[in-house]
Amino acid sequence: MPLEILLVLVVGGIAGITLLVHLTGRSQRCVLSLETAREQWVRHFPEDTVIDVTVAHDRHAALVRTENGPGLLWSFGADTVAQRLLDYDLLDRTDGFEILFHDFGTPKAIIHLDDLERPHWRNLMEPA
Amino acid sequence: MTDQITFPDVVQWAVPFFIAAILAEFLWIAVKGRGGRYETRDAVTSLIMGAGNIASGFLLGFIAYGFFMWLWRITPLDLGTSIPIIILCFVLEDLRYYWVHRFGHRIRWVWASHVNHHSSQHYNLTTALRQTWTYTFTFMMVVRAPLILLGFHPAMVLFVGGINLIYQFWIHTEAIGKMPRWFEAVMNTPSHHRAHHGRNARYLDCNYAGVFIIWDKMFGTFVPEQENDRVDYGLVHNIATFNPLRVAFHEWVGIWRDATQPGLTLKQRLAYCFAPPGYSHDGSRDSSAQIKAKHLARHPEDLGTPGFEQTRENLPNSAAKQA
Repeated sequence: MPLEILLVLVVGGIAGITLLVHLTGRSQRCVLSLETAREQWVRHFPEDTVIDVTVAHDRHAALVRTENGPGLLWSFGADTVAQRLLDYDLLDRTDGFEILFHDFGTPKAIIHLDDLERPHWRNLMEPA
Repeated sequence: MTDQITFPDVVQWAVPFFIAAILAEFLWIAVKGRGGRYETRDAVTSLIMGAGNIASGFLLGFIAYGFFMWLWRITPLDLGTSIPIIILCFVLEDLRYYWVHRFGHRIRWVWASHVNHHSSQHYNLTTALRQTWTYTFTFMMVVRAPLILLGFHPAMVLFVGGINLIYQFWIHTEAIGKMPRWFEAVMNTPSHHRAHHGRNARYLDCNYAGVFIIWDKMFGTFVPEQENDRVDYGLVHNIATFNPLRVAFHEWVGIWRDATQPGLTLKQRLAYCFAPPGYSHDGSRDSSAQIKAKHLARHPEDLGTPGFEQTRENLPNSAAKQA
């Protein structure tokens, strides 16, 4: 196949499919509740026993305390990802936290928290 | 030896079919309200990975092709290009695919290339296009050497390999349930391949087939999709990025960081490169055998069911102990 035609097909195909999927409402992020956050954590870490779950007010992130230590669950497109809070840096933002995981495949999570939530989350993540 | 044999590059010619089939699957899901899920950034990442795979073929394909042509020049055998030979080549190429795919899940160096194909939590036709950019660096082209040394022309081997890949495109869908029993018995199907993409303990390291599922049945890696254990797609530890560069290279970076950490023996460094994924020198990670053993410890009722046929006594000692 001539390279020009292949290029047009590939670029046009990607652009067209992207537009179609987005315009039909499939860019929504996963919304968490206490129950779904708990279920999702156990999906990611089946061996864990969850102690309690704190869901962010925007419902796109949850702090999960387990018998193996605390962890963060957050929306990843229509799905979720989860990470234990073992090796990370926490950066303050005006709208929440940016958490850097030192992991090339999971570089960071941006968690939107209001003024009331921020100190509470910090206490849960970094107990004195 | 005849060098001047040409076959069409079928994968490039299949691009319009790929686009049309994705649109058809998308519409089917939208109309029926079942049969899979699409998400914008996931689909875009998969499509860009597919485009990058074609680009890496343009940039690096000459290395494998040069190697194949060198083999072709030294082999005294030439089986020709008759229809029966092409069919035989297709079957043997599929056997080759089975083993390369199995190595791709059991050797971390090869997994580093293949992992991106499993990195989506979705399973639709775009997932089929989420392909590697780094296959050349795995050196798995050597597994094709026996075919060429036996007298199958490199252009024919690449042609049937392309058909093999095109066949595998349509099985990346949830829109098709089970096929007729005779077809499920012989061919790789959406159902068999869904199980292969599962991160559930039951489905780890199963169903490596490309076209014919018989290889898995022959070599003991077949696990049928179970109605009572819905496939959960993705990686045991899912990545949290849609960035194609991170998707393509994250496991290579992981190998580098693991193998170069201070205080390891040479054997441990090599194990981080070539042992099965999940190896760690300090036991801090789980291999698939350990994940299965831990699952059985939590769910002993699954012992003896598909994917858990091994008794705990047959599992590696460390896995059983950890469980």
